[in-house]
Amino acid sequence: MQTVIRTEKLTKRFGTLVAVDGLDLEVREGEVFGFLGPNGAGKTTTLRLLCALIGPTSGTAQVAGYALGQQDPEIRAAVGILTEQPGLYERQSAWDNLVFFATLYGLDRTTAARQAEHFLRLMGLWDRRLEPVATFSRGMKQKMAIARAALHEPRVLFLDEPTTGLDPDAAKTVREFIVAVRGEGRTVFLCTHNLDEADRLCDRIAFFRQSVIRIDTPDHLRAELYGHATEIRLMPTPRAEDLVRVQAVHGVREAHLENGSIIVSATDPLLTNPLLVRALVDGGAQIAYVIERKVHLEEVYLSIVEGQAKQSVKLGTSGKVS
Amino acid sequence: MTTLALARTPERGALVRAVCVREWREALGNRLLVAMTLLPPVVILAAGIGAVAAAAANPPSDRDVQAMYAAAPAVVGLDPKEAIQGFIATYFLILFMLIPTVVPLTMAIFSVIGEKAARTLEPLLATPVGVGELLLAKCLASTIPSVIVTWLAYAIYLASVSAIGSQAAVRAVTAPRWVLAIIVMVPLLTLLSVTLGILISTRVNDVRVAQQIGGLVVVPVVGLGIAQVTGRVVLDNQSFVQFTAFLIVVDLAVFFFARLAFQRENILARWR
Repeated sequence: MQTVIRTEKLTKRFGTLVAVDGLDLEVREGEVFGFLGPNGAGKTTTLRLLCALIGPTSGTAQVAGYALGQQDPEIRAAVGILTEQPGLYERQSAWDNLVFFATLYGLDRTTAARQAEHFLRLMGLWDRRLEPVATFSRGMKQKMAIARAALHEPRVLFLDEPTTGLDPDAAKTVREFIVAVRGEGRTVFLCTHNLDEADRLCDRIAFFRQSVIRIDTPDHLRAELYGHATEIRLMPTPRAEDLVRVQAVHGVREAHLENGSIIVSATDPLLTNPLLVRALVDGGAQIAYVIERKVHLEEVYLSIVEGQAKQSVKLGTSGKVS
Repeated sequence: MTTLALARTPERGALVRAVCVREWREALGNRLLVAMTLLPPVVILAAGIGAVAAAAANPPSDRDVQAMYAAAPAVVGLDPKEAIQGFIATYFLILFMLIPTVVPLTMAIFSVIGEKAARTLEPLLATPVGVGELLLAKCLASTIPSVIVTWLAYAIYLASVSAIGSQAAVRAVTAPRWVLAIIVMVPLLTLLSVTLGILISTRVNDVRVAQQIGGLVVVPVVGLGIAQVTGRVVLDNQSFVQFTAFLIVVDLAVFFFARLAFQRENILARWR
């Protein structure tokens, strides 16, 4: 896959404050790239840098094949951004808002009208296109803002918290839209605190705090940290001797009791699980079920990001950016 | 599959047209702004026509005539009733110069502070549009209606004075220097007011505070009016040319400072 964003030692300082510190990043064309980090980690600053809204203090970046700082108008034409706030002209209609921005993106009248209609229909807002945006709900405004960001069919779509505050129905529409954008071969750069959403949507995830802490696929991140976990439910409840038997099985990394089940982490569950079942049955245990237990991305996030934060505090290098 | 972006940097004409139309729609939807924009020209126009009509209906007192001769030696020897109408008609033309300082200031302030409050600046700046072009478009969006309003008010004033005033009054309001002042100085004063309004709005978030600070722009115009009425300044052709040249220099300087303040990074990182 072609690289659509590449940064090298990208740094942004505001006075003495380091917002982004030597960011090295490669994002591929056609992937949904999750950008996760705590509040104040510098995510919004990174987005603004990559959209050529602000200039870097040092380092280089290529976005959609254009050099940051040298071809900024081209970068802005090639990307779309959903900002934290929808930022719509509330007295004006949904249609007028979209056509206005289409004009600023250099679309001719016919294309602007075609794109505005396409996205209003896609977002389920076509019937209310002539109403002032002020009358819209928060979810509708957010969908409008996403439509505006995607209006000119950018190669990279930067979405900052796209589903925050949305009802499940609106959030579903937005997630389906993200999947559709990826399906068209375009890249989505997704900043979110919704880890479940990131897990479901993202091909790769970067954990970020001033610079990238770790990048990988959600599954690899889980496997690397926790191995593969198996939940074994016993009837009526597991006994202490059952846990001891499980811990003794070859290939088991860790096992503990949790809510009436034994949770087992093994290097290779396909090899270990049959041995576990045999050991428990031989010990007289009654097995209700054996299932693969998926580690939540939240656990991975907390482990990586908080672990890094503790290390930074020890080294005295922590910083906070809005 | 590689999808190419449809976008490109817009033509300047299309950008200016789009920004102007959007701002005018926004302004027309804001009753307070419309009222604040139309009130000054309506009041000045009504007062001017009323004053000329009153002077035409009532003969001036000796005291008024003496005061007029002191302020405008050029009218000595003319029929006092005729001359005082001409004097009043001229005085209100100076007040007409207040319209391009007050009207666009309000529009320019609403234009920037409104965008700050609605958080629309970031999506706007995320487009391929250059900030200089955006500033120019915003300036024109406030300048054009204000100039049109002033010219329209002048046309109504001219027609009214021609209908009710003396020959001296008609000559006064159609004097070439005043016609030129309306054609040349009104746009320059408007532009000054707009760029000042934008400059002030980059620093403050309250429309009223911005208007209070921006209101200072009327002081030189009012001062000029007072100086002329009291006879301290005689507005001849040379002083018009000098004032016009001064306005051009000030316009360029203020636009330069507004352009400095209107930087993408400043707007996003520092404007609050």
